[in-house]
Amino acid sequence: CPATLRAMKVIKSALSMKIPEGVTVESRSRVLRVKGKRGALSRSFRHLSLDIKVSPNGRTLTVEKWFGVHKELAAVRTVITHVRNMIKGVTYGFRYKMKSVYAHFPINMVISKAGDSIEIRNFLGEKNNRTVNMLRGVTVSQTGVKDEIQLDGNDIEAVSHSAALIQQCCCVKNKDIRKFLDGVYVSEKSTVLASDD
Amino acid sequence: MGKLDKFVEVGRVAFIANGKDSGKVCAIAEIIDQNRVLIDGPCSGVRRQVCDMKRLHLTRFCIDLPHSARTAVVRRKWTAAKLDEKWKETSWAKKLESRRLRTNMSDFDRFKLARAKQ
Repeated sequence: CPATLRAMKVIKSALSMKIPEGVTVESRSRVLRVKGKRGALSRSFRHLSLDIKVSPNGRTLTVEKWFGVHKELAAVRTVITHVRNMIKGVTYGFRYKMKSVYAHFPINMVISKAGDSIEIRNFLGEKNNRTVNMLRGVTVSQTGVKDEIQLDGNDIEAVSHSAALIQQCCCVKNKDIRKFLDGVYVSEKSTVLASDD
Repeated sequence: MGKLDKFVEVGRVAFIANGKDSGKVCAIAEIIDQNRVLIDGPCSGVRRQVCDMKRLHLTRFCIDLPHSARTAVVRRKWTAAKLDEKWKETSWAKKLESRRLRTNMSDFDRFKLARAKQ
């Protein structure tokens, strides 16, 4: 009988997380605002049909899904994770370190004064200079170590996206990429302030 | 930080939005499955019946009903909770009432209203 061929819906699926001291999380209409000592982050989850609520004392965040199917249930935990990353960003920040790797032609990375863009010269000896603008909230700077730069920011998506833009602007063309390994690659993912975890 | 506390539960007072008995409030006596509930509104003229959740809008009122309570029990709990007065006092009910008055106005009533507003 084809009456019950649709997927079974789970009546309720909920997850909650503790909000640490010093961080405030506000949620209204599935837009979350996280404030901490490094600043504030905002993220919209309006594309999801979830109940997101913060407990009255502000210490617990709960995400609930009523009558969900497979993909909707998966979204419950991803929201918690996104908020976890936002909290980590506003308390410790995110620092991605990138190293330039070259066989023969030294990659010259020139960072703008404000730290909002980086110019990459002499990649594989090419005359073409590549400029990458950082996303809003991300600053790039020299580490002090040779051939290493670091990207700092509160929003993990912005920092990792900026790192990806740098890595992808230095791709080798028309060569065997197993042999020509030149490029700028993410070497370390950590935090700006020392994390206790 | 909107409230997320209007649950479909036994005793929840619901407003019937369309179909027969539309515009009346009733209580949820039993939950049948994901989409249907058993409603009963002895004090508001709603016969005990199965109702689809799509027809119902939940209110913020909830009475303390045991599940599958029969009509006499619903009536007793409803009057004890004074739900008729509480419902009439909500801005929801007041808006419905003013809409009803406005549609039932005669031309003379509209004249009187225009005069009163001057």
